[in-house]
Amino acid sequence: MKITKEAIAGTLESSDLLVKVAPGNSDVLDIVIQSEVIKQFGKQIRRVVAETLQKLDVSQGSVVIEDKGALDYAIKARVQAAVLRGAASEELDWGRLS
Amino acid sequence: MDSEFQFMVVDAKDSPHDVEQARALLAASQLDVDPHIGTWVFCRSGDRTVACAGLDHNVIKCVAVAQEFRGSSLSLRLGSEVVAVAAQQGYFHLFLYSMPHNRELFRGWGFYPIVEVPGLVVLMEDSPNAIRSYCDTLRREKRSGSRIGCAVLNANPFTLGHRYLVESAAATCDWMHVFVVREEASEFSYADRFALVRAGVAHIRNTSIHEGSDYIISRATFPGYFLKETAMINHSWAAIDLLIFREYIAPALGITHRYVGTEPLDPVTSQYNREMKCWLEKAPSKSKPVAVVEVPRASANGTGISASAVRQLLRYGDFAGISKLVPKTTLAFLENQHPAVATLAGAGAGKQ
Repeated sequence: MKITKEAIAGTLESSDLLVKVAPGNSDVLDIVIQSEVIKQFGKQIRRVVAETLQKLDVSQGSVVIEDKGALDYAIKARVQAAVLRGAASEELDWGRLS
Repeated sequence: MDSEFQFMVVDAKDSPHDVEQARALLAASQLDVDPHIGTWVFCRSGDRTVACAGLDHNVIKCVAVAQEFRGSSLSLRLGSEVVAVAAQQGYFHLFLYSMPHNRELFRGWGFYPIVEVPGLVVLMEDSPNAIRSYCDTLRREKRSGSRIGCAVLNANPFTLGHRYLVESAAATCDWMHVFVVREEASEFSYADRFALVRAGVAHIRNTSIHEGSDYIISRATFPGYFLKETAMINHSWAAIDLLIFREYIAPALGITHRYVGTEPLDPVTSQYNREMKCWLEKAPSKSKPVAVVEVPRASANGTGISASAVRQLLRYGDFAGISKLVPKTTLAFLENQHPAVATLAGAGAGKQ
């Protein structure tokens, strides 16, 4: 899935996260994660984000995350929502996202 | 409702009463209502406004939270609301003006500081790496040399004055970088202005033309430039634009000198030139100073050539007058854009 336009999903409230995606100006995937719990759970958050993007087949663009201590499935859902909005995708194979 | 707070998004024009209510709240934070805010997010508790944030295109300003709610989750809800409103309006790359002591609060909104005028104001953006990646792109255009010049043109439209400025700067520099202001706040579109600059300096060997950006004389870095109201000339706002130039753009391209035309007529630009010397050369900064070179304005018939004079003549369809102020490339564009007026004016001029 290709990010073709800018999009956001989520909020800045406690236990949530704000995900911003944008088409990058090169063919790399640039992921920036800022989290209030980065010291304790940074590795885990990065893994969930990377896996979710991989399942969506996103290999380029920019993904900026401001995390407020969200649980894994919230992270997954917000990243999916932002990418789907940014890809303006009509068709979606939900099975691939689980 | 799950809380005592109600958020509302209002158009500034439609709700003068709500905006007046926010004035007291802002005053308590040493802020005033910014008249250029198009959309407000207000948070109400009962009939009282307890928090507000304003949006002027892609710039967030006038954020205030009542004393007793500071440090609560209210600020983060306010941040979420204003970011969502901006996204609905199509703005995804956001800037935010804040007083320096609130920097940490806005870090929580996902904003990162770009430059700060100590004690006065800090400009933040909603990405930790956007300006760095912009500078990486610029760095690819870097040229070697001991004297590297730069000029930033709005070129509305490109005149012989602009050409003279770039020619004389390029003659003294190893390489000359020219930026065209990207903001669509002028009579001529960015695409047209850019094309005219490109055509107008094509004959100068050691010059590159660069796209403008949000970081160089834009609504975000220098709102006053586009408002052109003397009252809006604000020391700290020009400082933000100039500090970004000194701390990010100049180092990326190795710029040592910034060139600017003398400006006797336009008070905003004239003030900008004066501040340029202050912020690029003298003010304390982590980056090296950039020397400011004022080039005397080129003149025709004894008066300085200005783009505003060209626009004025265009209103009267005076192409004979315009032809003395602009290069052939700009003249051809203007005639092409106003063919009817050009023909009429040509006929009229011939009779005189």
